[in-house]
Amino acid sequence: MHTLSVGVQSSNIIHDEHPFEGFEMLGRAGFTCCDFSLNNYLPGAELYAHRRNDFFDRPLPALKAFFARHREAAKAAGIRINQMHMPYPGYVPGAPDSINEYLAKVMAPKSMEICAFFDCPYIVIHGFKPAGDSGSERESWERTEAFLKTLAPMAKALHITICLENLYVSRGNHIVEGPCCDAAKAAARIDRINEEAGAEVLGFCFDTGHANLIGLDFEDFLTTLGDRIKTLHIHDNDGIEDLHQIPFTFARNRENKASTDWNGFLAGLAGIGFDKVLSFETGPALSAFPDRMKQDALRLIAQIGEFFAGEIREKQAASGSD
Amino acid sequence: MQVSFSTKSIYGLGRLGSDPDSVLDRNAYGITVDAESFYSRNALEGYGVTAFDAGGARERCRKLLRDCARHGVSISAMRMPRLRWDTKRTDLRELLLQIGTEGIDACAGAGCGNLVIQPLFSGIPRALLWQENHRYYAALGRKARQAGVRILLENQCGHVNGHLVRGVCADAAVAAEWIDTLNEELEAEVFGFCLDTQACSLCRQDMGEMAAYLGEKVKAVLVRECDGVHEACRLPFTGINAAGYDMDWSGLVRGLRKSAFDGILIMDASDTLRGFSHLFRPQVYTLIRSVADYLQWQIGMERCIRESAARVLFGAGKMCRQYMAHYAENYPPLFLCDNDPSRWGTKVCGVEVRPPEALRDLPEEVVVMICNTFYEETAAQLKALGVKKIGAFSDECLP
Repeated sequence: MHTLSVGVQSSNIIHDEHPFEGFEMLGRAGFTCCDFSLNNYLPGAELYAHRRNDFFDRPLPALKAFFARHREAAKAAGIRINQMHMPYPGYVPGAPDSINEYLAKVMAPKSMEICAFFDCPYIVIHGFKPAGDSGSERESWERTEAFLKTLAPMAKALHITICLENLYVSRGNHIVEGPCCDAAKAAARIDRINEEAGAEVLGFCFDTGHANLIGLDFEDFLTTLGDRIKTLHIHDNDGIEDLHQIPFTFARNRENKASTDWNGFLAGLAGIGFDKVLSFETGPALSAFPDRMKQDALRLIAQIGEFFAGEIREKQAASGSD
Repeated sequence: MQVSFSTKSIYGLGRLGSDPDSVLDRNAYGITVDAESFYSRNALEGYGVTAFDAGGARERCRKLLRDCARHGVSISAMRMPRLRWDTKRTDLRELLLQIGTEGIDACAGAGCGNLVIQPLFSGIPRALLWQENHRYYAALGRKARQAGVRILLENQCGHVNGHLVRGVCADAAVAAEWIDTLNEELEAEVFGFCLDTQACSLCRQDMGEMAAYLGEKVKAVLVRECDGVHEACRLPFTGINAAGYDMDWSGLVRGLRKSAFDGILIMDASDTLRGFSHLFRPQVYTLIRSVADYLQWQIGMERCIRESAARVLFGAGKMCRQYMAHYAENYPPLFLCDNDPSRWGTKVCGVEVRPPEALRDLPEEVVVMICNTFYEETAAQLKALGVKKIGAFSDECLP
């Protein structure tokens, strides 16, 4: 039986020059887990501009050597790297083949190896977004599935579950649901691919901020996906922009109650018997606080995590599912 | 496909048929009687608490129906009064059932075949939504079947402390299941769907995917634009800034093409109309009609291509090549035509270009698709050549 833990993404906390400091900070704040932001090493904005850096050009031993200090620092601080984020996008519509081949054949497999190097069981990826404004959901999924199938044998061998995340896409001046926002479809696809692979190579990462942006029903979505939910990206926004802020930050009317459905979130997690890591993807929120307040801000996030864990346990106990 | 104007988009309902500046053109358009024109959502919210002249509202609605009949205005659909999405009233189910029942009678009396009735949601736990709505719609459905009226469910927003989220029937799969079950039980197609584009936008849903999924169940589309955050009933294409449009109308067109939509486009541009001085009303009405005509044409274009026995393309330029790229595999043209003599005898995408004179001997069932933007001029030329069936191709909303 697992127990609920609390984690946070490494962005804006763990720095390559002195990773020990960052992990110690997490430990002091009360976290026991960390979502390692591998995506920071190959920025998506650059990829969308059809450019890339050479970080993943390094041979695997060199990459492992680069991350050895991070791994050591996490261990020293008692922090478990429970999930990491693969660089995204994994496919850039309209980019030269050289970039997309690099993403599929170099970046992705090396990300899996780094994930294993950290003894991390879950890696989150973004399903591919449609090309332009007219691509269909089916077409973008087919491309995503082809990508996943190239990684599935590796995931099986390394005992890693790749987690798909619910996304949005920007079209003109508005946001619209993106890949993996249909829970029933996602569940069926995950089951099919896992059955074909003969292992749990695919799971789901529920992103509260993205779900809030597109008005998903949290409880319904979580209930439909059930134990396919392996990881979480917990963060808040105003329902308008993807702000990655701390939960309970936003209200939309003068009653001043939270405009994000945290009750539905907790009920959904309790209902599916979630027992993994309550992981916050709130790196951007930390950049809003002065450096001297960062530790306190992290402490607040951890306390919210502990509150969530307590609520989920209570609900599970009340329903007898604990 | 029929274009219909919501009564919310029509000023001077009391002068129906006598207003030369009205949005209506009796030969081309119908109206959708939106009961909100008579029973506002706030009035329903305060029902039984604050004074509301329900009898007066009912009588004003009946008078409009009589006026429509007298002036030959076709009533395409009616939308019954709705509760606000943030309502706290949980005691109005009986009233809604009564109003819905009256709506069926009113529809039947006015020769209107489609009635939009909002699903129940207020105060109903998630687990009981279907059970409560099943009972509600089954009761209404039995009466509607007898009256020959179709009831349309509509996608709703939910409400989390001021944030609008997906509500009842926002999930296309759930809505489809409800409609199928209700129809199977009644052994008739009594239920269909009205897709509210505003609710889609507020919940950031892909309108095209939703329309395509629901397919033939979509009997009406309530066409109105908002900024994705606040409720509004604006004219499509009016919300734009440097980043682009507020709503994806091209996506909706593609989705409705996929499902071969042949229902009612209900135009509700009441907020756009309200935003202008009344002195501009004739011009705004003209614009509303033009946008409606444009959407109708764009959605119906593929049907025209698909349902014609054979096709010829007029214009051998860029638009012709777009046709060839997207449609030639399933709907290959017999040949191409162009006014430019230098193109005669050449081939575009492997198809021969002939002079316009080649159209004189064309069988009647062959459609000539105009593949340039000089639609009116080219149509006149084609008519002069004796072409009977003319279509207009557009490459603006291609997959």
